[in-house]
Amino acid sequence: MSINRRQFMQGAFAAGVAGTAGMLGAGKAFSAVHNPVGEAQAELFGKFKGNIVLLPSKYGGYVQAMDLSVPETLAWYNYGLHGIDMPIPHHIAAMPSADPYKGFDFYQTMQPPASPYVNENSPEWRNRGDFKMFKMRYDGSGKQNSISVVNDIGVTTGMSLGVHVSIGVGENANKYVAFADGQKDMVLITDISDNPKIVKAFRADYDPIARQLNISHVFPDATTGKFDYVGRKGMKTTHEAMLGEELMPADPTAVFVDAFTWHPTLPFGAILIRRLGCCAIVDTRTWEVVALLSTAKGSPDNFPMVKQTGFTWTFAVPSVLTPLHEAGFITSGEYFVACNNVLQNNIAVYRSTDENPNKWKKETFVEGFGTKYLPLHMGNVPDSRFVYFTMWARKPNNGYICKVDTKTWQVVAKWDTGPDPHTCDCTVDGKYMTTVYSGHQAGQSGLVVINVATDKIEARLPCPGGMHDHVVVPESWEGMKVSRSTSV
Amino acid sequence: MKIRASQNRASGRIKSICTFMSLASLLALPVGTALADSKDGTFPTAEQVGGQVYIDPVAVGKKLPLDFEAYGMNGEKADLASVVQGKRSMVVFFISAVPVSVNELVKIENFTSKYGNGINVVFVNADTVGSALMGGPKAVIPNSVKTMHTIKKEQSLKTSSIFVAPNDALSADGVSTRLGIRGLPTSFVVDAKGVIEKVFVGPQNWKKGDI
Repeated sequence: MSINRRQFMQGAFAAGVAGTAGMLGAGKAFSAVHNPVGEAQAELFGKFKGNIVLLPSKYGGYVQAMDLSVPETLAWYNYGLHGIDMPIPHHIAAMPSADPYKGFDFYQTMQPPASPYVNENSPEWRNRGDFKMFKMRYDGSGKQNSISVVNDIGVTTGMSLGVHVSIGVGENANKYVAFADGQKDMVLITDISDNPKIVKAFRADYDPIARQLNISHVFPDATTGKFDYVGRKGMKTTHEAMLGEELMPADPTAVFVDAFTWHPTLPFGAILIRRLGCCAIVDTRTWEVVALLSTAKGSPDNFPMVKQTGFTWTFAVPSVLTPLHEAGFITSGEYFVACNNVLQNNIAVYRSTDENPNKWKKETFVEGFGTKYLPLHMGNVPDSRFVYFTMWARKPNNGYICKVDTKTWQVVAKWDTGPDPHTCDCTVDGKYMTTVYSGHQAGQSGLVVINVATDKIEARLPCPGGMHDHVVVPESWEGMKVSRSTSV
Repeated sequence: MKIRASQNRASGRIKSICTFMSLASLLALPVGTALADSKDGTFPTAEQVGGQVYIDPVAVGKKLPLDFEAYGMNGEKADLASVVQGKRSMVVFFISAVPVSVNELVKIENFTSKYGNGINVVFVNADTVGSALMGGPKAVIPNSVKTMHTIKKEQSLKTSSIFVAPNDALSADGVSTRLGIRGLPTSFVVDAKGVIEKVFVGPQNWKKGDI
């Protein structure tokens, strides 16, 4: 007997709850989760049970929560409902949930639509969209799933940042969330409450004449308790730099801060600084900057601090051999890997176990990507046996995803998943790696699922989203270590 | 933040050595080396674009290269060399996407009108604007010129000596690589023969005697 959702929803009460519930399994009679038993795709996707994937559509302006096991969109939300003209949902991170089908929270950042990619900074676009950070909530506890805004964190704190968001783990689990932005060169750390409190904020500025990097704490106004960086305030450039634009002329102080990633076991976090090819290591017990890693091949392991003046840490950066983009820790914390790109396309591998980050050394590089393929994102698996990387490419090339063996630091598999590939994130059981490609905001785009053990592509789904990020909702704080925490 | 380039670039610092080596290397690329901006999506190596991310502007005492493609406020091609020929000039490179460089234009105009002794001021937007959604590649120059008119109006600039210079930052032949521009604005003061007298990087607290 076939039964569709409409018939179920209409007949559930009339027919009797017990009989109908039996088709779905105990405890799921009233949740809007589809059981695909009997459908042609059920066997193929059933192995992904327990995985809810969040997919923010950049130029589509919405986010969707997808049940990968059906597959079906459970709920979606268009940020235009929050009053934003041309919302550009950008990066995303999900809090852990023991039962994500019932509910979970997540964080979403947003940036204005100005972009050389699409509209190349036309004045007509400069007042559209906004910088935003939202705490969002998926509620699957009722008969209609929903996504809603819990907090407009930019308004709450007075600082609006639009690039990566990452949630603290290990020593910082269940405490903090970090936001970063390369148009403002700032990082904001808040707590994870529904009315977030400011914990710490940083700003990075370069002096190209002195060849020094200054990283400072930024403090909210004493009377308001908020910053004055809402919306476009504080931006050094009108758009986030595309790959390669690190070489473009820019604000002399601009360094393109991209993300903050968390060490899974030690009390440290890394501020990723694209234009300088550096990562500033922060002690999360004191929020002091304790080291500046220089990730390029041929550069020293770190650059020296020349002085600290109050809450400003100054480092000498005499030369920058290459920009970098993303960097983060593998799940175990044993290594910190950094995607150098544009002028050097390689991945620096630091051993990151010492409690003094100034002792972290580059042990090797993953190389051989040539001059067309740029290391961009990374994705972890629970046992740290492999790390997945996105190799981005300009048109007319597609780019690809590669799998690196963490014993040999060699590429052992690669996949051309589609044009403009972006993030990787593994399923909650660690058996599959999901990855998105976004078609340069116009063409082919979708979600691909790769079997970690066999390297087979198990599934491909369409997603007209132009996603630059996605995340599988983790089940636990330990599971967060493979998610948008240690890596971006 | 005030950032001022020194007049004498021939110091013993690492950046000068890198600049010299990188400029020399541009003249002798290895055989088969692909340059960026190629249709196959190649990115440059460090050697092809000056040796590292932060390269130095063309040095004081050198002639400022102005033989790159440029368009005037009427959308027509312009010869920047002839615009500065025979006149002591201040050539200011900015980008419409960088607010600090746009805001500096009116400061420079006001400063030079008061203390510039009649110096010829030329503003050059080293970038293009508005293609993909605004009419495709053929719309690039018209849209960039339109943006220049917007900037002139919004910044209340008196000059019409504002040009668009399409720039490919990933190319050894790109404007920003050739001129060594990384911070904005970069302002070159050149003599009547086009030889660089002074270089200023970033916003300045302009005062009498600076140029």
